[in-house]
Amino acid sequence: MVGPTASLSVLSRADGSASYKCPATGYNILGAVNGPVELPGRRDALKPEDATVEIFIKPGTTTGGVGERATETILKSVLGNLVLGREKGFPRRGVVLTLNIVGGENVERGDSYLTLLPALLHAGLLAMISASIPLSMTLSAALLGVTTSGDIVQNPGPAAAKSVVSLHVLAFSSKGHLLLNESRGRFDFDTWELVRARALSICQGAHDGDVAMGEGENAASVNAFIRETAEDQIYSDYAHKLDSI
Amino acid sequence: MSKEAQLSIAERDFILEALRQDVRLDGRKPDEYRPLNITFGEEYGHVNLQLGKTHIIVRISAEVTKPRDDRPFDGLFNINMELTNMGSPAWDNGRSNDLEAAVTHTLDRVIRHSNALDTESLCILKGVSCWSIRADVHVLDYDGNLTDAACIATMAGLQHFRRPDAVVRDGKVIVYGVEQRVPVALNITHKPLSVTFHTYNDSKHVIVDATLKEEQAAEGDLVIGINNAGDLCYASKIAGAPVDAMVIVTKTSIAWEKVKVLNAAIDKVLQADLAKRAKVGMADESRAENDREVQPE
Repeated sequence: MVGPTASLSVLSRADGSASYKCPATGYNILGAVNGPVELPGRRDALKPEDATVEIFIKPGTTTGGVGERATETILKSVLGNLVLGREKGFPRRGVVLTLNIVGGENVERGDSYLTLLPALLHAGLLAMISASIPLSMTLSAALLGVTTSGDIVQNPGPAAAKSVVSLHVLAFSSKGHLLLNESRGRFDFDTWELVRARALSICQGAHDGDVAMGEGENAASVNAFIRETAEDQIYSDYAHKLDSI
Repeated sequence: MSKEAQLSIAERDFILEALRQDVRLDGRKPDEYRPLNITFGEEYGHVNLQLGKTHIIVRISAEVTKPRDDRPFDGLFNINMELTNMGSPAWDNGRSNDLEAAVTHTLDRVIRHSNALDTESLCILKGVSCWSIRADVHVLDYDGNLTDAACIATMAGLQHFRRPDAVVRDGKVIVYGVEQRVPVALNITHKPLSVTFHTYNDSKHVIVDATLKEEQAAEGDLVIGINNAGDLCYASKIAGAPVDAMVIVTKTSIAWEKVKVLNAAIDKVLQADLAKRAKVGMADESRAENDREVQPE
């Protein structure tokens, strides 16, 4: 299976930006972060000691609606809590994250955004890293579907997601703590536990060796991928220093 | 409302003085565009356009809907643009601003109202179903001249887009998937583009394709929408300092020259992309002809 690709700081106007492409689901997300910025007109809603994180999802070929707003709330509950909003210069300011779905199929009206969620989370996180927003931790997410025969499939595309019994998105911190759990469809606790174990091994890599690997050469974890993307960017940003050593 | 950072007095004076000596900040001639780079995505109608530092993505999509009651023979066509915080930190998410309204209006006038896309060809069954074509303009980076960039990208997208084939059989509409039948190109009647001019020093100096800084230093603007045949379909002088009538006449002919060059540039990348697709795309699979082995002589 082909892994995702991402690049940081692709745009020039935004403070930080990231492009994230997932070949398995076909989604291409562009994230941009501006922050810390003044959020005028919303002074009463600002927290006196914390930063306000705003997230906006712009669908590729429709106008945003209820689905986008609901997904924004989910993303905000995860990414908003990662931001260290009490750092100097951040209280009473805003961190504005804009996620633009520039490639891939549209989510049908009324359909859930679960298939897009990991891509949105990764693009958002990488954009925050690119904008040097102080974060308490990094995360990695996985999308899993359970088929009628009980098999767990990784990254089902929009078409495959329609035929699965249940669909799960789980996000873990870099230390392996569960940060997000969104599911759809019918499933029992045992299935969910299997899904969780599988998602953890996808995100962290099979470190204990007891989790069977389905795809074989899928050894590189999502966590390592996020790390490498950030590392590559820092390496190219500081190329001038490396040369002078 | 956030605002774009204002130009300092020194910067403004510098731009104006340079123009008096016929020099622009980036060394271009008064009627020279920035380097234009158009690429197409994997799907049909996905255009990635860079005009200097202005970066735009346009996506064209089609769906079957019911036509409007008063126009049962016409399909629908909409151009949608929403400026987000991504393009410029001065734009607020979910709130429209003056620039968005102005550019959307110009796009609507130049492309939609000039009937560049023949909406009658989008009709499938009178009064029952038709195609609704939608162009979504995403602004990723803003460095001036959004109107022209969006116009070029939208026109390129419309020419690149292929909608699924649909037929009416026994009063029922059947839409074929792209795997079943070769998708159909849209019916483009003519190819209008907008050319935006900015005026300086009592309209003594008029330039095309201004960058953001040049736009901020300008005293007025003039937008001309014209097609390859030289038919003027839009001219606007909404605000700013007055412009001499002769300037409009001479600039219209410059706009015509520019549109021909831009349309040729679009054609070139379009042909290159279609040729590339023809090799690997569905057109090859849906071909009835067998591959013939060429006998070496």
